[in-house]
Amino acid sequence: MTLSAQSLDAAPRPLRARLAARRVPLSILALSLLPWILPSEALAVNVLVYGLVAVGYNLLFGYTGLLSFGHAAFFGTGAYVTGIAIGRFDAPLFAALAFGVAAGGALAFVIGLLSIRTRGIYFSMVTLALSQLVYYIALQASSWTGGENGLRGFTVSELNLFGWTVDFLDPVEKYYVIMAFTAAALWFVSRILNSPFGSVIEAIRENETRARACGYDVERTKLISFTLSGLICALAGTLFALHLAIVPLDILHYHTSGMIVMMTLLGGAGSFFGPFVGAFAFLLMEDVVSLWTPHWQIVVGSVFILFVLFLPKGIWGTLMAWRAGR
Amino acid sequence: MDAELVAMQLFSGVALGAILIMVALGLSIIFGMLGVVNFAHGALFMVGAYAGLWVASLTGSFWWGLLVAPVAIGLFGMAIERVLIRPLYRRSVDDPLLLTFGLGYVLVEAVRILFGSDGIPFPTPPELAGVADLGIGFFPIYRLFVVGVVAAVLILVWLCLEKTRFGLIVRAGARDPLIMRVLGVDIARVWLLVFGLGVGLTALGGVLAAPMRNVNPEMGSLVLAEAFVVTVIGGMGSLVGAVVAGLLVGVAISMTALFAPEMATIVMFALMALVLLVRPQGLFGKPGRA
Amino acid sequence: MSTPLLAVENIGRRFGGFVALEGVSASFEPNRVTAVIGPNGAGKSTFFNVLSGVLPPSTGTMRFKGRDLAGTPQHRFAHLGIARSYQITNIFPELSVHENVRIAAQAFRSRYEIWRDRATLTELDDKAAAALAAVGLAHRGSATAKFLAHGQQRALEIAIALVTDPELLLLDEPTAGMGPEETKEMVALIEKLAAERTILLVEHKMKMILGLSDRILVLHHGRLIADGSPQQIQSDPEVRRVYLGQNDGYA
Repeated sequence: MTLSAQSLDAAPRPLRARLAARRVPLSILALSLLPWILPSEALAVNVLVYGLVAVGYNLLFGYTGLLSFGHAAFFGTGAYVTGIAIGRFDAPLFAALAFGVAAGGALAFVIGLLSIRTRGIYFSMVTLALSQLVYYIALQASSWTGGENGLRGFTVSELNLFGWTVDFLDPVEKYYVIMAFTAAALWFVSRILNSPFGSVIEAIRENETRARACGYDVERTKLISFTLSGLICALAGTLFALHLAIVPLDILHYHTSGMIVMMTLLGGAGSFFGPFVGAFAFLLMEDVVSLWTPHWQIVVGSVFILFVLFLPKGIWGTLMAWRAGR
Repeated sequence: MDAELVAMQLFSGVALGAILIMVALGLSIIFGMLGVVNFAHGALFMVGAYAGLWVASLTGSFWWGLLVAPVAIGLFGMAIERVLIRPLYRRSVDDPLLLTFGLGYVLVEAVRILFGSDGIPFPTPPELAGVADLGIGFFPIYRLFVVGVVAAVLILVWLCLEKTRFGLIVRAGARDPLIMRVLGVDIARVWLLVFGLGVGLTALGGVLAAPMRNVNPEMGSLVLAEAFVVTVIGGMGSLVGAVVAGLLVGVAISMTALFAPEMATIVMFALMALVLLVRPQGLFGKPGRA
Repeated sequence: MSTPLLAVENIGRRFGGFVALEGVSASFEPNRVTAVIGPNGAGKSTFFNVLSGVLPPSTGTMRFKGRDLAGTPQHRFAHLGIARSYQITNIFPELSVHENVRIAAQAFRSRYEIWRDRATLTELDDKAAAALAAVGLAHRGSATAKFLAHGQQRALEIAIALVTDPELLLLDEPTAGMGPEETKEMVALIEKLAAERTILLVEHKMKMILGLSDRILVLHHGRLIADGSPQQIQSDPEVRRVYLGQNDGYA
């Protein structure tokens, strides 16, 4: 059967396909070089941590197509629970991290359950509102969280890994420890994206009703994606807490959720490395613009608007699409 | 429990609810017609308050501020729709939302640049200061005024939507924009006006709220979340829902503040979570809208 | 006679005050092509939506292979063996043609695998390739779906429904927007499919329907006004009255 054929095959170029297959090691390589490229280790760690949050968020937004405005809740919960575990309960480091991640994931499951049952366009509003609830609870539970002043008193100064002592106060050593966790998370995300589940979430993003007609339980799939996304953002939160040794209350505010959205879009939603590029772009803009005015937000916000209008694929996404010849 | 205290707190809740209704109504109208969730809605509320403040300080009269600010900000809203949002309708459903979010971000910072980050007190206009003795208690006159204005605006909006051709188009267009185009209606102009109306309503809410709160660049931030809560509880696109839910939330916050002030904001979110569990489409929303 | 493949009894569907379907009853034997026709607004889309689980019926029962479908969520219909193509092309635009079909085939794996590499599921690739070959799109597998010509997208529509090997195939205006050449090719495809499956189709092109169908159901204002062979339908006075003045093109 020959229906009118056109020659518009978009076969990926061999180089790009080979790069895509090695995205995890390549990403790790790029991230390892960061402290040597960037002017400060603090900026490098921030790129790592916020990049990881954006990676977790991207799983839900870029790949599943769900625009959540409440991911600060998982990022913040990971941070708070880890801080509390270390500061109040003297938990060993890995246990504290595990609790933080688990708490974030559990919260994501609950918020996901409530928000996915609503109709599409509601979703962004509901996620924002539910995560604000978490913010106000944290504000009130000040005996646990420190309230407005944030959580303090849980500094980690050294790490004992299989007989090897890492000085956590040294910025470079701290960076590579955090990077090790980030690398593990990236590997995890890559496996998810390569899996059958990874195809399903993309199908849902592309055409939810058709996916349902094909036989997929779309709501359950979305919930799993939401929870996985929350777990990764919570991990980023735990690393954030370790890095700063403080957890500010604002981490739970929807402004932080918005920042995560902006970073993801600036870098390229739906691309693997894009979130790190976005985090880097955002933080760099903040640092550079702050040198000459405290009102860096207006610059970043305007740039974001321009991207939504003219470069919706983001920096990395546009680059990737351009190289594929589209 | 002092009956008079309860009555006054209840009324306070109604006044708060009235402001929420203005904001939620604006949000719902914009969504109902344009399918856009306006994430700049809280920022525009705040801009409305500042505009009212500025006009009032220029002219020396609150009344000018009340009249001019919502109209001016509504016109600003129309410009936003025309220039920034319209190009995005053809793209994904999320893009207009993202744009309004960015816009809100920019507006807040712009206000900080122009007016500073500190709060500015907005004095209650002298004609409306003081309390009125209504037998069951003493009620602040300004809040009575707010409730009155909101009620009047609601009647006007209802009349507009139910009795005018424009209103008919808005109500029908929400369901089938293609038919409207076929019938020769300039749908783009309707979108423009609807967006302007929605923004004007929230700006009006801002001006009305200004004497009741500190005017500061952050004041829109909680309002946005509140508007979302009210909309989810009431049902998106439902005007009746916005009114009922607005009052419900206002009163709930106010009454909780009486017993447990620290739980007041949390109660509103808890109500929303309850509605999501039991009736996800909201009290007056249509179930299972595709 | 054993249980029919699909039996609908007194199916009705209302939207608020509006009655879209009322009292529709029919039973469908395997391996036949049945066309559902009717003027615009007759309820054909609603009927298909009910049969494919998109809308639950307001009244009446549906039995598929003897099993009552009441309360079955939409996503289970594909698993039961009921698949559907859409009047307005409903594909996965940014995914490749091959992936569009492969993902439909994947739905039958019940576990939510997040650890395995999907490239190891070679049997799905084989099924996808077979379905694409059946509709004549084997050579376009790596193309991005949104770049396909209209006729090819309609073929892809069918391939997505076909890959799950359904017993009942619901085709909603498969030749929508197609010219005479493409329509002939689609008819040939449907005839080929009909050998092994039961097909229900909604169409407007009378000549095509008369040539292709074993049986025709006629809907009008939500009711079934005629049900019979093409010859019976053509001579039915009620049907002639309803269609008087209708210009179906390509006739």
